[in-house]
Order: sequence, then structure tokens, then C-alpha cells
Amino acid sequence: MTSVISVRDVSKSFGPTRAVIDLDLEVPRGSLCGFLGPNGAGKSTTIRMIMSIFHADRGAIDVLGTSALNAKDRIGYLPEERGVYRKMRVGAFIEYIARLKGLPRKGLRSRVEQWLERVELPDARQKRCEELSKGMQQKVQFLSAIIHDPEVIILDEPFSGLDPVNAQLIGSIIEELRVEGRTILFSTHVLPQAERICDRIVMIDQGIKVLDGPIDEIRAQFDPRVIKVDPVEPDHRYDDVVGVAGVESRDGHLHLRIADDAQPTDVLSAVVAHGPVRSACIAQPTLDEIFIEQVFRSRGSDAAAETREELTHG
Amino acid sequence: MGKALVVAWREFRHTAMTKAFMFGAVLMPVLMMGIFIVVIPLMVESNQTPLTGTVAVIASADVIGELEDAFADEADEPPTDAPPLALADPMAQSMAMIATVETDITIMAAHTADLADLKEQVRRGDLTALMIIDEAVITDLEGSVEVLVPGYLSPNHTDTLQSAARSAVVDTRLRRLGHEPADLHRLLKRPRTLALRLTEDGGESAENEAARRLIPMAFMMLLWVAAFTSGNYLLTTTIEEKGNKVMEVLLSAVSPMQLMGGKILGQAGVSLVMLVMYGGAGMAALFAFAMLDLVPMMHLLYLALYFIMAYFMIATIMTAIGSAVTELRDAQSLMGPAMLLLIIPLALWPIVGEHPNGTLATVTGFIPPLTPFIMIQRVTAATEPVAAWQIIASLVIGFAAVAVMLWMCARIFRIGVLAQGKPPGFMQLLRWVRMG
Repeated sequence: MTSVISVRDVSKSFGPTRAVIDLDLEVPRGSLCGFLGPNGAGKSTTIRMIMSIFHADRGAIDVLGTSALNAKDRIGYLPEERGVYRKMRVGAFIEYIARLKGLPRKGLRSRVEQWLERVELPDARQKRCEELSKGMQQKVQFLSAIIHDPEVIILDEPFSGLDPVNAQLIGSIIEELRVEGRTILFSTHVLPQAERICDRIVMIDQGIKVLDGPIDEIRAQFDPRVIKVDPVEPDHRYDDVVGVAGVESRDGHLHLRIADDAQPTDVLSAVVAHGPVRSACIAQPTLDEIFIEQVFRSRGSDAAAETREELTHG
Repeated sequence: MGKALVVAWREFRHTAMTKAFMFGAVLMPVLMMGIFIVVIPLMVESNQTPLTGTVAVIASADVIGELEDAFADEADEPPTDAPPLALADPMAQSMAMIATVETDITIMAAHTADLADLKEQVRRGDLTALMIIDEAVITDLEGSVEVLVPGYLSPNHTDTLQSAARSAVVDTRLRRLGHEPADLHRLLKRPRTLALRLTEDGGESAENEAARRLIPMAFMMLLWVAAFTSGNYLLTTTIEEKGNKVMEVLLSAVSPMQLMGGKILGQAGVSLVMLVMYGGAGMAALFAFAMLDLVPMMHLLYLALYFIMAYFMIATIMTAIGSAVTELRDAQSLMGPAMLLLIIPLALWPIVGEHPNGTLATVTGFIPPLTPFIMIQRVTAATEPVAAWQIIASLVIGFAAVAVMLWMCARIFRIGVLAQGKPPGFMQLLRWVRMG
């Protein structure tokens, strides 16, 4: 699979602060790649380097086989720091950005109207940007990033500032764009969101990549080999079930550790047969858990606790 | 180029085609002119009360007679272009031009013995004034004339009384020497002069010297206002784009050079609109007064060339400063030196206008960014033409400077538009030029 975005051995420092260190990153064509990490991890710096807004101190970056400078019209970009012309009308603003992205004037108005309908802002075209709420402005900015039908879409924290309903709306549009064949890279520090829609993730911490790959492979790699069960009788015991190596009660569930030589599906069947349950499933690691584990490995337990706190409270 | 033009059109449209521009740049100057030319004189006129009442005078009989004559003449013929009371001092003259004073004064002879009582009457307002004219002022040309007035009397009325006293003294002196003051005033009336310039093509042209003096100033101001107003718009719109965080969105679509080029081009259009608007109004005024020959075609060509130069010089300075800061107040420290430099042509106007081929005018005409502002004064003011080589040299130097300033501005802009935090100092800007 060819890479649409290719970052090779890239480093960037701001004075004494090393923002990105020896980063390698490949985003295959047609993938929806989440670029994850806590605040200050180096995500926005990397994205700005991909967009050629910042120049890397070292390394090479290609987008669509060239520099982003030469492919601006084929890239849609939503920066982390949002901005609109406050006095400009919404329709005029989106049309202006679209014209700068190379779209002809003809047919532009109806295209903008269609997209405004799609993001549930049908009456906003004639309003001034300053009249919109922050969330509405964010949707306008999102539209200005995708209005020119780009091949590659790079979104820096696209969900921040959106309420859950609008976050879901934007998320569904992003998924549609992926289905249409666009390549999408988006950064977020809210991992559950990425978990829902990404097919690939790259994790970065303190400027260093800590994880990279398809989300299923990463989950398999970090498979906890645990069955989460919620028995009808709270005192029900599973110690004697074949394939269960240990039992732990956590978060209101029983966590049954699967023995190394046992098949998870066989153990799950045995657990269900052992007694009545409200629910039972093979546990999947969350991105939060995977990320905290990675931080634990590289930075120690204190840093992992801090990261857990950050991920929990955004 | 296409994207730069899209930026330019937005810049032009959202500056020149707005209510704020129409009000600030078009209606406001028209309103101001209207206020100064029509409304204020009318209001002054309507507020001007006549000078009436009785003036007690302690002086010899002939002086009192002259004063009576002066006020009688005044009442018969209110002062027009040549006030008969000979308001000698410039301040009084200018006041008299704004509003002439009607008088209805009765002169009353008085004596020194009653001085205390007279003063009290003036204080109470029973008398409009008390004049004490010492005989020595007439005979020995020494001493002074005292005019005592009540505290409430307006400065204009006080001036009128003082002028009347001065005139009476002079006329008395003349009459005692056997002269008729009216004859002498008539003899002393200065004739009008007509300056005829012999032109190179063998003709003669009569010129209004005042207009001739003002036209270079008008040309420079036209250049200055048109270029500076747009420069100011460039400064504020660039700061706005940085402050609104829209800059990164723009830079994802266009290069910094396209953005800067588009902005400068768009505001050039705004500047041109102002130049044509104000310049056109000036030309229309000259046409209305049949003075259009004061502005030959060649001057308009020079105006066009030096306007382009002036605009780009100011535009590059303003764009560079705008790109380097995130708030308007941060721009003030960088604007200071730039403004100081650009004020120089205004300060030099009287000298350059009077000596357009003098050393100061010649030298400063070759120093960017003063070049366009000084040269436009020189070429429109010269009683003798500016040497062709100097005009050509100024154009070469000026446009070379524009190229260098554009280059420096581009390098500052490239770094500045994405810079946040503490605004840079002048030395930091120079470092950006090296880095950019």
C-alpha cells in the first residue's frame, strides 16, 4: 500500500525544547489514521511540519509524493488554532478559502450551501462569522478544510470544543470521507474518539513515537487475555473453570485471566456454561490502557499516572 | 498569481467596499471640509454681536475727533477686505476675516479728575471702555495708549477698540503735520501685483503665487494620505489575521509570498481609489476656478510614478510591522521610528517648496523612503525645472529601494506571520531578514 504522507527521521526543536525527535510516520492511501498523544506531545508541531508551515530541523517529509507546498490544493487542513474573519459572512468565508484552494467560482455557492446543510447550518450563509457560536464556527472551519474535495485531509484536534452531538456529526462526515477514498490524518488527545473511527493509529509522547500500526494489530499486540464477566450471583466462583489462571474483581466486574495455553473463545464458552451471567466478553484493551502502558514502559509509573489523569480529564 | 489576485480582491473588497471606508475616507473628509468652509464661519457670524455703547476718552480734542470719525466711518462702511480701522496685528486681521465687527459707539470726552469714577463705570458696564491717550504718544512718539474694558468684553471687541485708538493717534499726528490722513491712506495703499512667468516656449503665464506655493504641498499630501491610509489598513488587517488565528488557514492554501503580494496589491487598489478621489476633487476645484493650467500633464505623470514608489515603500514597512506583532498596541513601538522617518517630508515642506533645487531638497530627494515625497514637491514646485538626470536618478534609486524593501518585508513576513508571543524589537526584525 502506497504512503500518502511520509515522515522520515524528522526532528524539530524550539530553542532548548525538543518538540519532535527522530519521528518516522507513514500514512497509507485511503486510511483514517489517528495521531494520538497527550497535550504537548508534539502532534501539532508534526502536523505543521507536514503542512510545510514549519520546517523540520532534520529529516524529510512528503505529502502525495512531494512537499505540501506543491500540493496545497490537494490537501485539506484544519489547524489546531481556529480562525475566521469575524466580520466576513460565513458563505463568503468558505467560498474565499475554496477559491484559494483552486476551486472555480462557478458552482461554488451551491456547493457551499449543500455543505452547510450537511453540517446542520442551513441558515448560516448570510450570517457574519462573529454571530456564530464557537461550535458553529468550528463546523464552518471544518467545512473550509474539506470544501475543495481534497485527496488528503489533515485535521488537528477536530473535535475539541464540540458538544457530543456535533462531535458525532463531524465524526460521521470524516468516516464518509474515508469511505469515499480520502486519506485522513487527525490528531486528538481524546483517545476513545479515535478508537471509534480510526483504522490506524500513531502514538507520540514527548516528541517520540511510541506506537504505530493498524488498530486491530495494536489491540492484538496488547491483548490482556482477560474475560470480563458480570455474574447474576455476585458470590459465584470461577476458580475451577478450565483455562482460567486467576480471578480479580475490578471496576464492578470479575476479570478472569486466561491461561497461556488456553483459547479465549473456549474459556468464554466454559465461563458462560458455568453459571448464569448478565454479561461476559473477551476484554479488549482500550487505547487509553495501551497508551498508559507505553508511557509506563518509557517514562516510569509516575509519568503513567500523570498521563492517566490527563487522558481521563482531557 | 491567481491566488494572489483572489487575496487582493478580498483585501480590496473588504476595505474599500465597506461602510467604514465610505464613512471614514469619503464622507468624513467631505463633512470636515463642509464644516470648516461653511458651518463654522456661519456659526461665528451668527454669534458675532455688534460693539455698542459709550467709550469715554481722556485725550486732546483732536484725538477725540479722530476717534469719532473712525467709529462713524466704521458704522457707515463695515470693514470689508481692507479694514479702515487698520487692524494692524495679524491676529486681529485674521479675526476680522472670520467675522467683521459692526460698531455703534458714542465717544464721550472725559477728564483725568474723574478717572476713579470712570473706571467704576467701566467695571459696572455703564461704559463700554475708557481710553487714556497720553499727549506724549502724539507729540514725542513715546508712552502708550491705555484701553480699559470691562471683564466680560470679547477679545474681538477689545481688538477693535485698540485698533481704533491706534488709528486715531496716527491720524492725529498726520493732521498736526498738515496732512490729510485719508489722502495718505489712499497714497499708502499698496497696489496689486501680477507675476508673469516667461515660459521656455516664449509665452507668458500669470500665476497665483499662493496656489503655486500650495500645489507642491497638495501633491505631497495627496501622496502621503493615499499611501499612508492604505498602509494603515495593511497593518491592521495583517494584525487581525494573526490575532484571529486565520493566518494558518490561509497559509495552508497560499504561500506567504502569495498572501503578502495579494494583500499589498489589494490595498494598492484602495490607495489608488483614494488618490483618484481626492486628486479628482482637487482637479475639479482647480477647473472650477479656471486654474487648471497650474497642473500640467507632466505633473500628473510624476504623481503616478512617485505614488507607486511611495505606496510600496509605506506598504512594505506596514506589512512587515503588522506581520511581526499580534496586537495593535505592540505595533506602536515599531511604528515610532517609521513614523518619525515619514514625518520628515512634511516638516521639510516650507524649505523644499521655497528652494526646490536647493541642496537640502536635492539630497533628501535621493534618500528613500523620503524620495517620492520630496521629489513630488520638487518637480511640482520648481520655478526652474529639476534636472532630468535628478528625476531619473530618483526613480532608479526609489524603485531599487522598493525592490530591497519588498525583499526584506517578504523575509520578515515569512517568519513573522507565524510568530507568537513577545513582539520582536528592531534588531530582532533584522535577524529575521537574515534568517528568512
